[in-house]
Amino acid sequence: MADALVAAAGLGKVYGTDIATRALEEVSFEIGAGEFVAIVGRSGSGKSTLLNLLGLLDTPSEGTLHLRGTESNSLDKRGRAKLRNELLGFVFQYHHLLPEFSVRENILMPYLISGGPVDEAIGARVDETLRVLGLDGLGAKNANDLSGGQKQRVAIGRALMNRPAIVLADEPTGNLDTENTEAVYSLFRTINEEWGTTFLIVTHDQDIASMTDRILELRDGKLVQDVRNAYAGAITR
Amino acid sequence: MLPLKIAWRFLRKSPAQTLLIIAGIAVGIAVQVFIGSLITSLQGSLVEKTIGSSPHITLADPTDGQPVVYSAFMQRVLAGTKGVSAIVPVRELNVLYSNGTDKVPLTLTGGEAGKLNLIYRLSQRTVEGVSTLKQGEIVIGTDLAKKYLLIPGDKMLLNSGSGAPVSLLITGIVDLGSSAANLRTAFVGPDLPRAQLGFRADQYSAIQVQLTDPFGSTPIATAWRGQFPGVKVSDWQVDNKDLLQALSSQSLSSYMIQVFVLVAVALGIASTLAISAVQKVKQIGILKALGMADGDTGAIFVWQSVIMGVSGTALGVLTGFGLIAGFTFGTAKSGAGFPITPQPGFIAISVAVGILVALLSAIIPTRNTARLDPIEVIQNG
Ligand SMILES: Nc1ncnc2c1ncn2[C@@H]1O[C@H](COP(=O)(O)OP(=O)(O)O)[C@@H](O)[C@H]1O
Ligand SMILES: [Mg+2]
Repeated sequence: MADALVAAAGLGKVYGTDIATRALEEVSFEIGAGEFVAIVGRSGSGKSTLLNLLGLLDTPSEGTLHLRGTESNSLDKRGRAKLRNELLGFVFQYHHLLPEFSVRENILMPYLISGGPVDEAIGARVDETLRVLGLDGLGAKNANDLSGGQKQRVAIGRALMNRPAIVLADEPTGNLDTENTEAVYSLFRTINEEWGTTFLIVTHDQDIASMTDRILELRDGKLVQDVRNAYAGAITR
Repeated sequence: MLPLKIAWRFLRKSPAQTLLIIAGIAVGIAVQVFIGSLITSLQGSLVEKTIGSSPHITLADPTDGQPVVYSAFMQRVLAGTKGVSAIVPVRELNVLYSNGTDKVPLTLTGGEAGKLNLIYRLSQRTVEGVSTLKQGEIVIGTDLAKKYLLIPGDKMLLNSGSGAPVSLLITGIVDLGSSAANLRTAFVGPDLPRAQLGFRADQYSAIQVQLTDPFGSTPIATAWRGQFPGVKVSDWQVDNKDLLQALSSQSLSSYMIQVFVLVAVALGIASTLAISAVQKVKQIGILKALGMADGDTGAIFVWQSVIMGVSGTALGVLTGFGLIAGFTFGTAKSGAGFPITPQPGFIAISVAVGILVALLSAIIPTRNTARLDPIEVIQNG
């Protein structure tokens, strides 16, 4: 328990006060460092709600969440923002890049928010990220001038900038074609294997889920399945 | 510095909007600087014309023509009063200047040249010759000189009504700033009027006093009235009540114009920032999701308003100076009017108010930003 990277215990979420909607109920699980996990379930089953709780974008109505040993309810808004910046990387369905900034600056943004000095090592890190993402030579371009697949790769680069322990991806390929979808997942896998980054990926694509190491399935806000996929690694390779 | 950088990018992303609001601030501040300096200079020029070279407080006998005694006590009191910058005892003699058929009434103001200089600034105002005011010399105004073609070196025959006419040598011609004074006033040494009026050495037509602050005259005049019973103490502010009232209502209306201009500027910046905050709500949500603190996202809007406020104000001050220069040039060309002096204090206040107003208008977007929940933005793509 103590060494789990993510530990959810009895997590629940109710939206609204007048008309209460229960989106999540009694969800408990633990995830260790370096795991590559899919969260599946029908639309409205609570996947995004769970990811937002794990990502400290929202607070649970019940239960506790430990991230690398820190209890999320003990943090104030500022503390949550800080931990989010240091520990977590997000990839959303939509790329959410800042159109006012170049590709390079978009990738650098989480680091700039952390307030660190932009030195040579950081410049090299951005270069490495661009290379890993297959975005060599596009750093100076405006984020708006890229194709959809490229934009999503920039968003992934941004999520990886602070070398987070956990990447949370909410239907990251929902807006991409098959080719780009496959590219994104093999990228996730490479990073997971080379850097040991933990991935939690929300998807409703069974093929993709089957390529992960572990699948959490939600139904009506409840965790109904938590299975390890022994063959996943073999399939991707 | 990240909020500043982002603010700058936001502003650059919509240059037309940014430039418009900067222009709006600039116009507001330029009007401020121009109107403020115009009114202040106009009033300064009017006050200067009224009292610049006349006494602020005059002590005289209540009966016209009767002398006031400049006693040792009075000398001590006047010299010992704080704020008194010049004390000039004068003797005034009404004479007729005969020029062929014309008989021109003139008032001779008699005193020591050095003393008269303190109030009338004769040496500064001498346009021809010199104003030494030695025995037998006279200094006349420009209009009189022009009308009767008099130049330094000419002699004037003056008749005071008592005794024989006297002949005086014109040594200088002065411009007293108003044509009435230039036509009717002349200056002589102290002895001629004294002899003609039959005054003792300590008797004068009036003791004229100037103060460092002309607007502080009333309490001083009141105090002197108590100390010198039987002496008429005149205060320029009482004698020019109408002018001063006009000036103060003019100031009031200029303040009102300025307040409305500032309100318009404030509304302009505030609405632009509010629009900007709505336009950038996605970006703010993303930055928050990436871990930017509320204080920093709020600071983006503060920086935006600082950038627009400072550059708009700077541009406005420059434009204001331009307007002042243009106005001064225009009126100088037409010969009418007066120079506008830029008022540094007033400009400093305009600058401070301009920037403060810009900062205040950042309050609403900053507050809304703090309230924004990043989830809303992220889920609505
Ligand atoms: N902000 C919200 N306010 C009210 N209800 C919400 C909100 N967000 C999600 N829900 C509800 O919670 C349930 C789970 O939603 P969500 O987590 O988005 O599901 P999924 O991502 O699996 O499609 C749904 O019934 C949805 O309508
Ligand atoms: Mg969802």
